[in-house]
Amino acid sequence: MFEDRQDPVDRIVSHLRRPVQIDPALDGRVMQEIADGETGRRPGAAVVAWRWLIRPRQLAVSPLGALATAAGLAALVWALPGRGARPAPAEATSRQFQFVVVAPRATRVALVGDFNDWDATRTPMRPSPRGGSVWTAVLPLSPGRYRYAFLVDGSRWLADPAAPHARDDEFGAPSSVVTVGGS
Amino acid sequence: MPRSLAAAGALAALLAATAVAQDPRLGRLDATARPLVAGVIDSARAAGLPTEPLVQRALEGATKGAPGTLIASAVQRLAADLGRARAVLGAGATPPELEAGAAALRAGAGPAVLAQLRRSRRQTITVPLAVLADLVASGVPVDSAAAAVLALAASARDADLIDLRRAVERDIALGAAPTAATAAAMAGVFGADALHVNAGARDARPGRP
Amino acid sequence: MGTSDGELVRRVLAGDTGAYAALVARYRDRLGRYAVHMLGDRQDAEEALQDAFVRAHRSLARCDDPERFGAWLYGILVNRCRTTGGRAARRARLFVRDDAALSGVPLPSPAERAEWDDTVRWALGRLTPEYREAFLLKHVEDLEYEEMAQLTGAGISALKMRVKRAREQLQIIFREAERV
Repeated sequence: MFEDRQDPVDRIVSHLRRPVQIDPALDGRVMQEIADGETGRRPGAAVVAWRWLIRPRQLAVSPLGALATAAGLAALVWALPGRGARPAPAEATSRQFQFVVVAPRATRVALVGDFNDWDATRTPMRPSPRGGSVWTAVLPLSPGRYRYAFLVDGSRWLADPAAPHARDDEFGAPSSVVTVGGS
Repeated sequence: MPRSLAAAGALAALLAATAVAQDPRLGRLDATARPLVAGVIDSARAAGLPTEPLVQRALEGATKGAPGTLIASAVQRLAADLGRARAVLGAGATPPELEAGAAALRAGAGPAVLAQLRRSRRQTITVPLAVLADLVASGVPVDSAAAAVLALAASARDADLIDLRRAVERDIALGAAPTAATAAAMAGVFGADALHVNAGARDARPGRP
Repeated sequence: MGTSDGELVRRVLAGDTGAYAALVARYRDRLGRYAVHMLGDRQDAEEALQDAFVRAHRSLARCDDPERFGAWLYGILVNRCRTTGGRAARRARLFVRDDAALSGVPLPSPAERAEWDDTVRWALGRLTPEYREAFLLKHVEDLEYEEMAQLTGAGISALKMRVKRAREQLQIIFREAERV
């Protein structure tokens, strides 16, 4: 492995400069800790906070639990008769995605997008049992490109600040894009 | 009421009723949008285009409370983009590929780029197309975005392409020029060799505190 | 895209906690790289990073120049990594503090060195924390010595010496490895 004659220190530097991906769930943990710290200290200070997901990851649930979750959601999202053929059979392998939003003063938050017919009743996000300011939803998504947004208290649309924004926001409320890979 | 207008109204009502019968979700559209969207979907179906993206775009508009005419024109535009994508990618393209291809075309990528991607990658090109669209949406010039995606498309995994997009977006947010951010991210994905190739991008490395 | 650090900081200070999420997302990977390389352990790095973000939020009003939030946050993380590094060293004997002990440290097995990634981490772990910190800030994070001095509190000449020694030691370490 030391066959090339480049200065090893330069090789180390090149290697170390490569981007490092930190688990995006860290953002949710940070915001949760901040929200916990603010509870009681600054009541009603924050407006709405949000945050999000990034990449697919294995969830810490039992295989049976994961299966049940995936099956249940998949049935809601995809297994409706007479719909278009999405996803295509060749790209049908789905992966679990976690969406996270921090909304300290929200009473309800829904994840709405191409994956649930933009139906605000379909994927309610669950509040954190600890403080209620971190809301999460888990969805199995097949490879593809999906538009989505968060709907807070049934009236306020939030795009994901850390995800790409949908460029063609024709409807006056922002959307974000999640791209799911298969390889 | 003139007879022609009455006939048009009856036709619209018939179209709308048929559309809802075919897909109850379209019942969420208002009376203005429903027949217009139904007409677009029928045409798309007849042309062999995927209709699900059109339904979703219409539902997005309905949920967001957009006016019916706006919804109809957005769906019409998407149908046209899907048709252009299919013309380039061929009849064998999957619906997700066509949807991502439509987004790439809408973002400004030329048909030649899509065709080249199709030739250069054996597996599905959904993610390369989507990443191309997202990079352009982030402000990366089309040529730079296309060059980056084409360079990676033949051998990179989907995950590598998504990492590339994330790195570019992050660096742009940190203040880098989009082209420099793309070059730097390419170096990151490719490793040390590419870093030398793109050495000029180092000066513009973003996020320096 | 386009919202400056200063604008986001001002929004947070005005009560919009959500704006802080955008700052966290913006700097997560960038600062994470330093923490991962400095601490040599991803879990320790994420803990340090999380703590740095929370501490920064808590004392955001003391960020004198909101447009340079990144630099200010960087300083908090560098300090945080020092305390974590100390704990990690005691816990796992990850770092060799005594220069003279370098030659006595056994080389990792060929299997352990199978990946370049592991090798680099192993080599960095053999530097003292002070040398590793200086090396990473200079060569990986690309800081000027003046900036490094502000972050670390060390003098410029001391920092230059640390970087030089770090480079020399890494070359020695790799020459040793080549002989194996």
